[in-house]
Amino acid sequence: MNSMNSIIDQVQRLNLKIVHKGAILVLVPLVFELIFICVLTGLVQGAEQEIKQQVRSKAIISQSNTLSKSIYDAGVALVGYSVTKSALFDERFNKVVKQIPEDLDELRSIVGENPRQQDVVENIKKITMNGVEMLNQTKSAIDSNRVDIAHFRARHMYKEMRNIADNLQEELKQLTETERKIERESPEKQSRSRTILLVFIFGGVITNIVIALLLLWFFARSVKDRLDVLTDNSYRLAQSQPLNPLVGGNDEISHLDSVFHSMAEALTEATRKERAVIDNAVDVICSIDTDGKFVAVNPACFENWGYTQMEIVGKRFIELIAPQDIGETIKAVRAIRAQEGDLQFENRVRRKDGTETTVSWSAYWSEKEKAMFCVAHDISQRKTAEEAVKASESRIRSIMNHMIVGLVIVDSSGRIESMNPQAEKIFGFTTAELEGRHVLCLFADSKFYSEAKIQDTDTFWQTLSDQAQNKIKEYEGLTKRGDEFPIEVLLSELNTHEGARFIVNVVDVSERKEVERLKKEFVATVSHELRTPLTSIRGSLTLLSVGALGALPEQAQKVISIAERNTLRLIGLINDILDIEKLEAGKLDMVFVNTGLQDILDRSEQAVAAFAQADNISIDIRQSDKIVYADADRIVQVLVNLLSNAIKFSPPGGFVEVFTEETFGFITVKVVDKGRGVPEAFKKLLFQRFQQVEASDSKKKGGTGLGLAICKGIIEQHGGHIGVDSEEGKGSTFWFKIPAMHTDSTLVVNVQEAEAGSGASQ
Amino acid sequence: MKILIIDDEEDFRTITASCLGLLGGAEVVEANCGSVGIRRAEQEQPDVILLDLMMPEMNGIDTLKNMRKNPSIQDIPVIFLTTKGMFEEFAELKELGALAVLTKPFDPITIGDQIREILQQSKVKKD
Repeated sequence: MNSMNSIIDQVQRLNLKIVHKGAILVLVPLVFELIFICVLTGLVQGAEQEIKQQVRSKAIISQSNTLSKSIYDAGVALVGYSVTKSALFDERFNKVVKQIPEDLDELRSIVGENPRQQDVVENIKKITMNGVEMLNQTKSAIDSNRVDIAHFRARHMYKEMRNIADNLQEELKQLTETERKIERESPEKQSRSRTILLVFIFGGVITNIVIALLLLWFFARSVKDRLDVLTDNSYRLAQSQPLNPLVGGNDEISHLDSVFHSMAEALTEATRKERAVIDNAVDVICSIDTDGKFVAVNPACFENWGYTQMEIVGKRFIELIAPQDIGETIKAVRAIRAQEGDLQFENRVRRKDGTETTVSWSAYWSEKEKAMFCVAHDISQRKTAEEAVKASESRIRSIMNHMIVGLVIVDSSGRIESMNPQAEKIFGFTTAELEGRHVLCLFADSKFYSEAKIQDTDTFWQTLSDQAQNKIKEYEGLTKRGDEFPIEVLLSELNTHEGARFIVNVVDVSERKEVERLKKEFVATVSHELRTPLTSIRGSLTLLSVGALGALPEQAQKVISIAERNTLRLIGLINDILDIEKLEAGKLDMVFVNTGLQDILDRSEQAVAAFAQADNISIDIRQSDKIVYADADRIVQVLVNLLSNAIKFSPPGGFVEVFTEETFGFITVKVVDKGRGVPEAFKKLLFQRFQQVEASDSKKKGGTGLGLAICKGIIEQHGGHIGVDSEEGKGSTFWFKIPAMHTDSTLVVNVQEAEAGSGASQ
Repeated sequence: MKILIIDDEEDFRTITASCLGLLGGAEVVEANCGSVGIRRAEQEQPDVILLDLMMPEMNGIDTLKNMRKNPSIQDIPVIFLTTKGMFEEFAELKELGALAVLTKPFDPITIGDQIREILQQSKVKKD
């Protein structure tokens, strides 16, 4: 048995497939049977040969006896004839003699091709024919009455015949000896052959049965047993039990078994993970039977509700529900059972400690399991958060609703989603009227662009985004009635969970514009109303001071000078105020041309020369061949202002220097004084309106406190910068930077126009 | 040089006339409104007219337009007097044929020379 097992093991090591094994099961007995039939056929043929041999032997013996008897009969008939001369003997003799050659031929044919027997038959034939010859001679002698011869022959013949008979007998004996031996031995041989045949047939059949059984056993062992294992594994898998060890081999069954094992591992892993998920879930996962009792629950019930798993299992589900929610909960559970599917509901669960928590249930009723499977998610925090969000939303909405700025919320393509009451008020539309429409409809541009054309709305929206995103820009708004009015718009992006949105902040600036217009008118009027009388005052004072109306006493001259100086100061103030107003409105008219810097320097020097001389300050201006792109009058205004300041704040007998330099396409002009300098804290304030280092400066040094603010405005309108480097007590360097020569050819025209313009304005 | 000043403000006319006459060495005639100004211009045929922009009834622009229609005075150069000094205004006034625009208040001592210079420049340009 052990050797059998080892054979099976070896066969199994051959890694035969089931189809190979099946082939072996059929082919091995088949081959054996074929060999068996071949051998059996050989044996049967041998036996038949044996029988044929025996029959021939019998025939040879019988024929030999017949021949021997014929010769004897012929001799007897001749003897009878010689005595009786009876025709009966004669006839008998002739018949026998005639018969002998036929008998010899017969014997010869029976002997067949056996050479030794053929020789014997030849001898027999010769002897027999000698004998017949002798008998015939004797008969002839008898017939011719030659008694002597006949006697002699008879005597002799007897002797001859005796010899012939002996020889014949000897030969026949020789011939039949073998046959007799064969005949004698034949039954034995046949009996042995039969025995062999029988043994062989039985042996073959038994062997065949044994082989077939062995193969069947082998097949059963290698296939059926393993299939049984496989079947068992499938039951085990279904019942989540551990599987049998892997079956050996490398055939389909072993592959199937290996797949089974992989599947089982995956299932085990999945189950383990599922279990881990359930055990570690934050939510309570439970099943409830038809009686409404908990059948199973995960450990989260302790964290959520304060009950352990043991405490919960067996407890009625409804006992956990807050009394005020029981009715609704029962309805929900009935609905779940009725529809046999998923359903969600919310209720309050009373914890073990008596507190309540809001829970969102997701439940599923299984008719098969007769149980309800639930996941209970604690949404107290979410509820709180939702309420907070609601409160926050309501707060924001309230703020939005009470804002004085109109807010229009649009999507990323400019379609209106909502607006606050102020926006409704500004445009005269209600939110419902505008929902889904393009923000274009609130702009006067809608007269030129069509809201219905996507290309138009896109272009408008793109322009609006480019111009007004995160910066205030003025537009013309359009009310529902079709009235145009000025608005200020600022676009700000808002990232919401629904994607990008934009807040279009809208301020109706109609009133402000009106105020501005009035203010402008007021300023113009006031300036006119002030300037005209001031012209008269100044003219009068000048006429007096220059003596055009006659010489004045010294005291009068002094008073007139004071009046003249203050008139100039007043004029300066009015001019400054007008300039600053215009600068702020961006409407200080400037004509930019390429101008030689030296001209600007010269004009500025001339303008302050008298003033400097009066204060005994020397001015040193370095020559410059640079060209600037600027409004020369305005730059002169700036430079005069800076020089005036430098002179004002220089100690008597001091000096002021002006340098110019070019850097990166900009010309820097520096005015350097050795005055008291500017305190660090003042450097930034200095360029703002009405700022002076000392409050008393305006009285002591003159000036309105607007000069540097105007300078800053002018320089910035040139695209330049202005600033001061100063160390207190050591002097200051006021500088400004403006663009160097502009090379754009189109400006040549402007230069000519500007030259004409500037000539006229002087 | 004969100058006609057309301005509704009497004080202004008086002082400007004094400045131009006494300091600028010019002969000055005055008119207190546009229509009077046109008549005076016809009568006096001044070398240059100083025309105030803001006047009641006929303002400076209308006065200029009327002058331009009057062949006897249409070639007399006109210099506007204004308090605003807005660039757009300058351009508009020059388009109407004004020679220049002077902003109030001007320097009483140099006003005569300034007017002479403007006239000189315009002559050079014309030539």
